[in-house]
Amino acid sequence: MAIVAQSSKYGQISRTLLAWIVGLLFFFPIFWLVLTSFKTDADAVKPEFLFFFTPTLENYTNMTENYNYWRFATNSVITSVFATIFALAVGIPCAYSMAFNPTRATKDVLMWMLSTKMLPAAAVLYPMTFLTKSLGLFDTHFMVIVVLCLINLPIVIWMLFTYFKEIPKEIIEAGQMDGVNTWGEIKEILIPLAWGGIASTALLCFIFCWNEAYWTVRLTTTDAATLSKLIEGNRAPEGLFFGRLSAVSAAAVGPIIVLGWFCQKQLVQGLSFGAVK
Amino acid sequence: MGRIVLEHVTKSFGNTQVIPPLDLTIEDGEFAVFVGPSGCGKSTLLRLIAGLEDTTSGKVVIDDQDMTEISPSKRGLAMVFQSYALYPHMTVRKNIAFPMRMAGMSEEEQNKRIETAAASLNLTDYLDRKPGQLSGGQRQRVAIGRAIVRDPSAFLFDEPLSNLDAALRVGMRLEITEMHERMQTTMIYVTHDQVEAMTMANKIVVLQAGVIEQVGSPLELYHKPRNKFVAGFIGSPKMNLIEGAEAKKHNAETIGIRPEHVVVSNTDGLWKGTVGVAEHLGSDTFVHVHGIEGCDPMTVRAAGDATFKHGEDIYLTPDETQIHKFDAAGLRIE
Amino acid sequence: MSNRTLPRLLQSPAVFLLLIWMLVPLSMTLYFSFIRYVLNSLRKPEWTTPALSNWRGFGNYEFVLKSKDFLFAIQNSLLIVCSILFLTVILGVLIAVLINKSFPGQGIVRVLLISPFFVMPAVNAVLWINMILDPVLGLQGIAVGGINDMVDGLRAAPGIGWFFSLWPELTPISFRATQTSAYAVIIMVTWQWTPFAVLIFMTSLQSEDQQQKEAAILDGASTWSQFRFLTLPHLGRPIAIVVMIQAIFHLSLYAEIEIVSRGNGNKNLPYLIGEFANNNIGAASATGIFAVILANIVAIFLLRMVGKTLME
Repeated sequence: MAIVAQSSKYGQISRTLLAWIVGLLFFFPIFWLVLTSFKTDADAVKPEFLFFFTPTLENYTNMTENYNYWRFATNSVITSVFATIFALAVGIPCAYSMAFNPTRATKDVLMWMLSTKMLPAAAVLYPMTFLTKSLGLFDTHFMVIVVLCLINLPIVIWMLFTYFKEIPKEIIEAGQMDGVNTWGEIKEILIPLAWGGIASTALLCFIFCWNEAYWTVRLTTTDAATLSKLIEGNRAPEGLFFGRLSAVSAAAVGPIIVLGWFCQKQLVQGLSFGAVK
Repeated sequence: MGRIVLEHVTKSFGNTQVIPPLDLTIEDGEFAVFVGPSGCGKSTLLRLIAGLEDTTSGKVVIDDQDMTEISPSKRGLAMVFQSYALYPHMTVRKNIAFPMRMAGMSEEEQNKRIETAAASLNLTDYLDRKPGQLSGGQRQRVAIGRAIVRDPSAFLFDEPLSNLDAALRVGMRLEITEMHERMQTTMIYVTHDQVEAMTMANKIVVLQAGVIEQVGSPLELYHKPRNKFVAGFIGSPKMNLIEGAEAKKHNAETIGIRPEHVVVSNTDGLWKGTVGVAEHLGSDTFVHVHGIEGCDPMTVRAAGDATFKHGEDIYLTPDETQIHKFDAAGLRIE
Repeated sequence: MSNRTLPRLLQSPAVFLLLIWMLVPLSMTLYFSFIRYVLNSLRKPEWTTPALSNWRGFGNYEFVLKSKDFLFAIQNSLLIVCSILFLTVILGVLIAVLINKSFPGQGIVRVLLISPFFVMPAVNAVLWINMILDPVLGLQGIAVGGINDMVDGLRAAPGIGWFFSLWPELTPISFRATQTSAYAVIIMVTWQWTPFAVLIFMTSLQSEDQQQKEAAILDGASTWSQFRFLTLPHLGRPIAIVVMIQAIFHLSLYAEIEIVSRGNGNKNLPYLIGEFANNNIGAASATGIFAVILANIVAIFLLRMVGKTLME
């Protein structure tokens, strides 16, 4: 053991210092966003008020009249929550089926699902616009929910699959011997057992839905527009509204970053499809 | 209650047939042990009986009823898994209650059976714990409890002791055997350990590559192994198989002699060899002897306090009545 | 017969949905790519409704191939994706090795580091292009201005002023020009995805065989050889996974390009399709088919590389 711990005290300190610098450097833009959000629009662009200024909450209190923030936020919540629920409702039975009753095609099906994720969304942009408009679904919550659900479904299934695979097959078989039917296997055994995995899958799916910025931007105008659309629509203020733009941006990403902190460990296992543990 | 018959059962995974057509009858109340090296199909056979695997062809008949198409829970069998397969999110009580709850049994009856099972398995104090808080032996008991409360027509055990340490294994072995004596219910037990097979079974089924090599009582298998494979597999240490000139003298291709059927001497005997390693177990000494033609090394049993040194000369005399003879195909010659 | 039939069927709803999601729009794209189809045309009003009579064969494809934007968009797509992959992997490995061993505050540094990954792409772009990289009002402009002022002041200082008068006046870089805006996109996406790489590599490093390392130390391996011959090979698989997952996300990069580059000529394939789709649906669809082909080439390559390890 002594061999490993041989690094000098000096090395230890400089390593700690460097690690902290890197961490702070990566966090700095977010810090800067939050800091700017407490400045008035006028102060935000003045070099003399870089770090020292009179903080104000007006950017946050005026968020509704400036940007109609809550309307977009509500849309984000509704679409992300329902898309996540639907993705789980379709994904859990599918992942259960693949993990415990694999056929020879299962591997190929999983790979194919992943490959649909690689399909560039832009390639089907117009057909989707065309279809949604002709079905009268353009700019509706329903459409956004369906699309968000479908684009995240492959990742949801993959993540659930890797979590389910860790449950010993014998436990499911014990359930079969004990007299549960297929629905019982899922309800009585699988879901309680994989609860942690399902929760972190849901959390990640929610985050991806919340941050999605292609379909939510292209398939909505106002009624079902999410926060991505709001920020995208106010992208180029040319220094005019740094303060208020920062506030609304911080309000858009803040909750998600905090959620993200809670699921960072599961993120690794899920996003690497269980290949890195 | 509990007569299990397999009729021409086969099982294939893809194009590989793991169980060629196989017939087997297990009588009511028997303790049958499937034994064989790993990969011999013994677990698959058990799972076919349980219904966890579908048969490729053939019939599984339980108590004169064709169960081939019936789902596992409706076959009236209970199974104890190698990893115990307890539900980690439920307490011991809920684990044991689970099959009864699934069967829609009344709460009252459930509790009555749980109490009885827990008492007989020494689990009463642990009923409100989760499986994660139990030791390996206790988990094993919970798994057995979960099987008992169903009052099955037969118990299936899939290598239930292989995850336990050696001391615990001996204890559990006794408990399961005693349970069988008490309940007189059919039990089918899969193991790769021939000691477990010998000590527990009324009927041993030796399997190799999906084929039944021999079925019989432990002593039948010990005294009259049908072929070289069974001869080598049953008994510990293994039977010495001798080929060549010595076998020819007995008009056989191969002869076999168990270590305990050889008389060991420092001075004279039929065969002369040199001592390799002597393993002292206290009660016995197993000596590995080099230099015997047709069988190197040959293992023999000597008295517990025998002293043999490496490189010493040693003389061996087999008990002629205990020599097993096998032909070129490896089959027993009477 | 099988009592496993129902459980096996449970995967079909998901498969069915994804199949529809993939096939219906894609076949429409394929169809549109072979006809003349525009949204507004005063000259040829019949082209504004999709119909087989407007068949154009490979005309749209020729049109797209000949447009100078197309080649540029492909080059730019590859430049952006490859740069991001390269930077995130290198930075990811270095940072992961740096923060892997425990030090005071490791947990906090970890949380700080991972945060960028959860930032909404639209916010990411707005934040970087306006508040950080803007040549006048952003931090970059302010910093450059500050340095210039300081150097200016030092020029007047006695004794050492001659030294600073040799220094040139710094000019801030505008990240809104065609080429530099691609760099801006690379910077902001690298910032967002390096944490992801770090997290994956760190997790993998924790599963590194410590006894193997101790054996190597006893064998006299230096820190560098340990890293080169033990750690790097150990990271092979996570690197492949990081590359694959990022490729999935970055090939369809859109929000950042849209926000940073609108109107300045910088584009990648998704953006070019969006541009075409404002009017020329035929061309947009043909470009879409090219994007699908490109994605498939990458996908086949990556899935071959990573697919096997995923399935173990």
